[in-house]
Amino acid sequence: MPRMPQLQWDLFCRVVDNFGDVGVCWRLAADLAARGERVRLWVDDARALAWMAPGGAAGVELQAWPDAEDDTRPVGDVVVEAFGCELPPAVLVRIAEKAAEAPRKPVWINLEYLSAEGYVERSHRLRSPQMHGPARGFSKWFFYPGFTAATGGLLREPELMAQREAFDRDAWLAAHRIAPQPGEQLASLFCYQVPSVEALLGCLDHAGHERTLLLVPGTAPPLPALPPSVRVQSLPYLTQPDFDRLLWACDLNFVRGEDSLVRALWAGRPFIWQIYPQHDGVHELKLQAFLDRFDASPDIRAAWRAWNGLQAAPVAGPDRASWQAQCLIWRKALLAQTDLASQLLSFVAESL
Amino acid sequence: MKIAQEIRAGNVIMHDKNPMVVLKTEYSRGGRNAATVRMKLKSLLNNSGTEVVFKADDKMDQIILDKKECTYSYFADPMYAFMDAEYNQFEVEAENMGDAVQYLEDAMPVEVVFYDGKAISVELPTSLVREITYTEPAVKGDTSGKVLKPAKLATGFEISVPLFVETGDKIEIDTRTHEYRKRV
Repeated sequence: MPRMPQLQWDLFCRVVDNFGDVGVCWRLAADLAARGERVRLWVDDARALAWMAPGGAAGVELQAWPDAEDDTRPVGDVVVEAFGCELPPAVLVRIAEKAAEAPRKPVWINLEYLSAEGYVERSHRLRSPQMHGPARGFSKWFFYPGFTAATGGLLREPELMAQREAFDRDAWLAAHRIAPQPGEQLASLFCYQVPSVEALLGCLDHAGHERTLLLVPGTAPPLPALPPSVRVQSLPYLTQPDFDRLLWACDLNFVRGEDSLVRALWAGRPFIWQIYPQHDGVHELKLQAFLDRFDASPDIRAAWRAWNGLQAAPVAGPDRASWQAQCLIWRKALLAQTDLASQLLSFVAESL
Repeated sequence: MKIAQEIRAGNVIMHDKNPMVVLKTEYSRGGRNAATVRMKLKSLLNNSGTEVVFKADDKMDQIILDKKECTYSYFADPMYAFMDAEYNQFEVEAENMGDAVQYLEDAMPVEVVFYDGKAISVELPTSLVREITYTEPAVKGDTSGKVLKPAKLATGFEISVPLFVETGDKIEIDTRTHEYRKRV
């Protein structure tokens, strides 16, 4: 495909809670910019970027959320509202104006949540006509990240797997003052809550090895009392590249939400996912859809369900060798997908 | 004005200055309690079809069309026939029936929808009671209702029900989302 001219992207992000919203949006913005696009990231709470991405990224311009009704700044070639965040009316007016006046209509994309459920494939790349409000008569497009070829794929920077391959574990651990004893198992812990100490210890246990649990900031306290064979070390806030490397360095990762799930998949290490809990229990169906999509073994299903508080903790965690093997199979299958940023670029090129 | 999640198969909405009958809707829960509705539409002017998706709370204008209380009579491929209280018969194309066919029973009351004097679709009640004709045996002990299993209705349509539901049970179904509501 011929290279498109550099485009101006406006990526809008509202932080609902935690770090996932802005984390995903920053990774996408930086990925697009690294491929030559110009990106303005509009975010209503950028505090977390101070530690996620302290150095910023070339080509990414960070902007405060455009609240003012008289804001007349024109929108770019592509408008992305992340996770269905409501755009301010002034921005909708700008979209409608540009659609009516400019020779090239802006492409307006609603980037949805990640899910393994079947509706994602059925709804991906569908038009959403706007029937009310300032953008009435104009359409946006729903774009779904996902785990199959019929979805928008996952964020995966072009150089990520090469960096993963060249990763110097010992040097990275030393630089971050993490000093495991010979044979000691390292596990990272990033979760909304610890549902039970049994669920935690069952997964941590591996052939009687000593273990160090590395606590990622944002993990809800309090941590339950753990046996002496589990050493606990609290980590400072890590940049996104360092968070990735933490997952690469550990023998086991406990991750949560959307962004760290994807990074754990790319790490290719045994991991256990805590899904964002929803009040009506719909997260259970979403977790089930993921486990079904990847044909997870019964012991992995049991451990994951226990870690999400959906069943009692099994007596023992999954067999570590087969767990490792499954994670590599999952990663291999996902590496065959076109990544999210590439798919967005293709979609925009077709739509403009 | 309605919001997307209130639109049902059989409703007619305006899309690109074109009255479109809604053939099928799919309500899906996203992350963080957000939801979307996918719709399969067919133009009443030229029969062309399209699929669209909305946030569940997107506002839209439903075209209010004439409706008549009727009962289902019979199916003569490709038309479904309905009769009103005065024994007038109206036929609706199978393609326009949407998910209504999944719940159809002899003499079932429905609302037949008319556009320009022609019967174009039917609307179901929001909820219906149907018997489960087959599901795997009930599992004792799980009464949470959160873990689901497939269950078949007499039409062969499959919906998800809690583990404690058994073959022969009558259940209430939300016809907009095809979700189990309760055992009756």
